[in-house]
Amino acid sequence: MGWGRSRDAAPGVDPERKSPAPTEQLFRLVVEASPNGVVMVDRRGVIVLVNRETERLFGYTRDELVGQSIERLVPSRFKSSHPDMRQGFLANPQARAMGAGRDLFGVHKDGSEIPVEIGLNPIEVEEGFFVLASVIDIGPRKQVEAELRRSNEELERFAYVVSHDLQEPLRTVSSYVQLLSRRYHDRLDADAMDFIDFAVGGARRMQQLIADLLTFSRVGTRGAPLVPTGMQAVYENALASLRAALDESNATVTSDPLPTVVADAGQLAQLLTNLLGNALKFRGDQPPHVHVSARRAGRMWTISVQDNGIGIAPEYFERVFVIFQRLHSREEYPGTGVGLAICKRIVERHGGRIWVESTPAQGARFSFTLPAVAE
Amino acid sequence: MAIAVPPFDILLVEDNLADVRLTQEAFKDARVPNRLHVARDGVEALGMLRDATGTVPRPDLILLDLNLPRKDGREVLQDIKQDEALRHIPVVVLSTSHSEHDIARSYRLGANAFVTKPVDVDRFFQVIRSLEQFWLDTARLIRP
Repeated sequence: MGWGRSRDAAPGVDPERKSPAPTEQLFRLVVEASPNGVVMVDRRGVIVLVNRETERLFGYTRDELVGQSIERLVPSRFKSSHPDMRQGFLANPQARAMGAGRDLFGVHKDGSEIPVEIGLNPIEVEEGFFVLASVIDIGPRKQVEAELRRSNEELERFAYVVSHDLQEPLRTVSSYVQLLSRRYHDRLDADAMDFIDFAVGGARRMQQLIADLLTFSRVGTRGAPLVPTGMQAVYENALASLRAALDESNATVTSDPLPTVVADAGQLAQLLTNLLGNALKFRGDQPPHVHVSARRAGRMWTISVQDNGIGIAPEYFERVFVIFQRLHSREEYPGTGVGLAICKRIVERHGGRIWVESTPAQGARFSFTLPAVAE
Repeated sequence: MAIAVPPFDILLVEDNLADVRLTQEAFKDARVPNRLHVARDGVEALGMLRDATGTVPRPDLILLDLNLPRKDGREVLQDIKQDEALRHIPVVVLSTSHSEHDIARSYRLGANAFVTKPVDVDRFFQVIRSLEQFWLDTARLIRP
């Protein structure tokens, strides 16, 4: 067949063959049109076919590659080990991604390295055994990822600096308004005291917002490493920190035995405290009943916090996790609208997801996934 | 019968005038007689501490902010604790910082206490009151 040796080989249409079996020409068109670089090598590692994208990616013409060793496209630091790896593949030929999680590079004609992903497929035909490699240029993706990471870091740094520097003047405003009320309350009339209360309330709320924003910005930058963490102890500490709210609301909180997960213990405590705190805060007429359950699904644990509170209408299931989004007036339920956004960020930092299910007036169930400890 | 105690001298090192005044107001309510002296930056503070003319008494207690112009509080703390003539004076770091790093560093440099300034004015007054009670009443200091 001599795939790829010449660009305009005759299409070998066989009238005997039952249509619609793909013809060689069709195969050629598909390979040519592939957005991935396609390189086929024989068992000795000699290139027998390349497509247009491969030419573009590596800067060689087809004639410069076909008949050459595949090692020509491998960076020099991997050249010595590459033949052994090819032998390894031939010993156990299965379609798979190359490199098993390592960063792979190809080398361009001009010597520069190109970050790539490579899928390998064994192909056995009459002419013998071949390996078809599909090469994706991940340079643009890597660049976008790097830019995204940089801009996220900058945003977090910005939020941190802004929130820290905003605390100072705000503290002055609130301190002096409070001092005014402390010193002069017997000389001021009811209106004046009202105005002072509004000013103090506003400053206090802004302080809370800034503190929450600071916490939010620290999830990504100040996190501890993710290590096996016993959730039971973290849960019990979270409950202890909510003691006042538990007593005040006359709540009953129960849990399944909780597993060990791969987590940052401090952030896990914050996550549980926020969710349990919400379960108590958004209670209905009944004393709160809260249950924390744990269910294993594959590599992840799903943890759910079920309450019997006021619940959330389905149209807000997504919105509750967005920063500064609130569903109630501050008079009904105090808060800054940052708590669940912090939860979402924490869960996502751990590679999990968080969601809510609820029937209004019957309670809400917040669930999140966290990685289990590998066995 | 109460024995008349000479007033305690306290050096407040603080660049923010609003905080200076607030601290002065809090010390006005103090039970222990005291004189509050103010340095607005690190250089001025060390100048007052090393004053040879005797116009500024050597303080019994130093309240030190960390973020100061010219010479910041960490450097001032280090200089005080390395100075044979000053190192016995208790230094309380009084900062808006909650940072673990600032706290650890201050203690390593020899701070005698680290206190985060509360945002609430009543809490702030309580903090000053408890500093006064501990350092000027409970603790025994070297007094001239």
